[in-house]
Amino acid sequence: MRTERRRADPDVSIVVPVVERHGDLEQLYREFAAELARLGRTAEFIFVVDEHLRGAVPALQEIQGSAGQEVAIVLLGGPFGESAALTTGFARARGARIVTLASYFQVEPSGLGPALQAVDDGADLVIGRRHPRIDSHFNRLQSRLFHGIVHSLTRTDFHDVSCGFKVMKRRVARELSLYGGLHRFIPLLALQRGFTVREIAVPQRQEDRATRYYGTPTYLGRLLDILNIFFLTKFTRTPLRFFGLLGAGLFAGGFLIDLIVAVEKLLFATGLSDRAMLLFGVLLMVLGVQTLSLGLIGEIIIFTHARNVRDYKVAEVIRSPSRPEAVPGLDDTNVVSASLDDTGVGGVLQAS
Amino acid sequence: MDVDVSIVVPLYNEEESVGALYDEVRAAADRLGRRWELLLVDDGSTDATAARLREICDGDPRVRVVRFRRNYGQTAALQAGFDHARGQVVITLDGDLQNDPSDFGLLLATLDEGYDVVSGWRRDRQDKMLSRRVPSLVANWLIGALTGVDIHDNGCTLKAYRADVVKRTRLYAEMHRFLAPMMSLSGSRWREVVVNHRARRFGRSKYGISRIWKVFLDLLTIKMLLGFTTRPAKWFALLSAPFLAGMLLALAASVYIQLTLPAGERYPLVFPSITILCAFAFAHLVILGVFSELVVRMGDFRPTETALSLLQPGGLQS
Repeated sequence: MRTERRRADPDVSIVVPVVERHGDLEQLYREFAAELARLGRTAEFIFVVDEHLRGAVPALQEIQGSAGQEVAIVLLGGPFGESAALTTGFARARGARIVTLASYFQVEPSGLGPALQAVDDGADLVIGRRHPRIDSHFNRLQSRLFHGIVHSLTRTDFHDVSCGFKVMKRRVARELSLYGGLHRFIPLLALQRGFTVREIAVPQRQEDRATRYYGTPTYLGRLLDILNIFFLTKFTRTPLRFFGLLGAGLFAGGFLIDLIVAVEKLLFATGLSDRAMLLFGVLLMVLGVQTLSLGLIGEIIIFTHARNVRDYKVAEVIRSPSRPEAVPGLDDTNVVSASLDDTGVGGVLQAS
Repeated sequence: MDVDVSIVVPLYNEEESVGALYDEVRAAADRLGRRWELLLVDDGSTDATAARLREICDGDPRVRVVRFRRNYGQTAALQAGFDHARGQVVITLDGDLQNDPSDFGLLLATLDEGYDVVSGWRRDRQDKMLSRRVPSLVANWLIGALTGVDIHDNGCTLKAYRADVVKRTRLYAEMHRFLAPMMSLSGSRWREVVVNHRARRFGRSKYGISRIWKVFLDLLTIKMLLGFTTRPAKWFALLSAPFLAGMLLALAASVYIQLTLPAGERYPLVFPSITILCAFAFAHLVILGVFSELVVRMGDFRPTETALSLLQPGGLQS
């Protein structure tokens, strides 16, 4: 095992999370492997399979048997989802560039060349944008709706944040800490950590045309994800600004209602006891104070853990004669696990 | 390389002024007669600042540059400076040349009188009256009134710190405006001296009037934090007091209605409901207060630890 992994590091690691539906994995592998060979880049493939899709493993083993390059298959011990699958894949990846691919046919392999080139030209992360889109109007509508909300909350202008096709430097992959639904917002998390992110258009596959309707629970989950990312990218250092504003608004609303009710009682002798509005006002005030107090707890957590918080990411330290210097303990490549990082997320399945 | 004084300058898009800044700082620092280093923190500049800094670095081994990946703001830049500083004393100043490096001597002399922090006071401020000076006056008055730390000029970046004291203070969010209240909380000795302030020669100010609501909110947060972090259960209990009062009032009202009004005119639900609601809120806050004790215990905030520096040799030279 050890000796086998001593081989020279590949140029590119392709990480494919097999967590939802998947297409013909062998064809997917063959097409992308051929494109990489054409580009003259050595590659390794890492398939990370979620437990409930273990049926895909035999096909993958066949690929492994016949492949001319390293193909790793990682079977997760449970239904952990795409974020965990990606993190696991990133931890194993040895290539200087890491490519993530959806496990079904989403984009044409011809997008690889320009994307790798863009990373070579200085971008830290390049995300694919399926363009021009050839799929159904329903798909496009829901995508537009999703991105509309994302744009207005995060003030970014990516067109296809959740497209599975991404190319990044290994540093980016190692630093992202993904869990839950955060894999859909990789570009936003990378931006927040100070990486340069570029979006390039890649041709969409015919197979990606099928209309996708996910059902209400999924859509509600997406909304929660967006709220989550909004909070994570803006308020992890100042939770009271978020909860405080919300709580103060609720409290003020409740107070206003009860004020009106009280004035009516004094001026027009409307009985207080038969007013349901009075109850509603009190309810709002209670909710407001509870929300605000949660923000306070958040502030206390940040304040009392400030020693583990590093608010900035250093690109380089320059000294005379001018050359980049890695500062032990202070440089940005080693992520302190189990501490609060930029996203305010602890070292969840952190790559070491 | 042993260093006595580390000079930290946060920079954001200051390509025109860095050259002059370096020259002035070098001249002033050389006059101090102490071993010094200059730490320039490039806070994600998008202009030619980085290239200028590289040139300066090449010519002087006493200069180091810390470059951020993106713009993180002044608090993070200062914190990075404190993290990288090697001197026993840290001096911070603005990168826009409005602070005068020839004040270094005064700051150091005052620090040596036995203070942990010496802060500049720009008494003759050379800025626009309406957009800069009036908001600043209001903010400083508020900070003084709310925290009890009476400082004229919290916003002045020109300050000198004992390194062992400042390295124990962690800054995040936009805390650099509240260094005085933050550090006096931990028992640091604080002194203000009048420093020179000059009109802007290059570029434009990066702050405007829009920051004032943020300052106000942050101030409230810090005011609360200071109390809540030392005695969380007590403060949450205080927060819950209005609901206790509300509960008792509503309870009295429901009993009164029950006893006095004839059966047909009673609306039995409203006041008992308010009683229960207030009781819930009261209980919620008290429980949260107990929970916050746990949070504080799990954290690493030790106010006494920072105050200890006063007793250490070198922490206080008198």
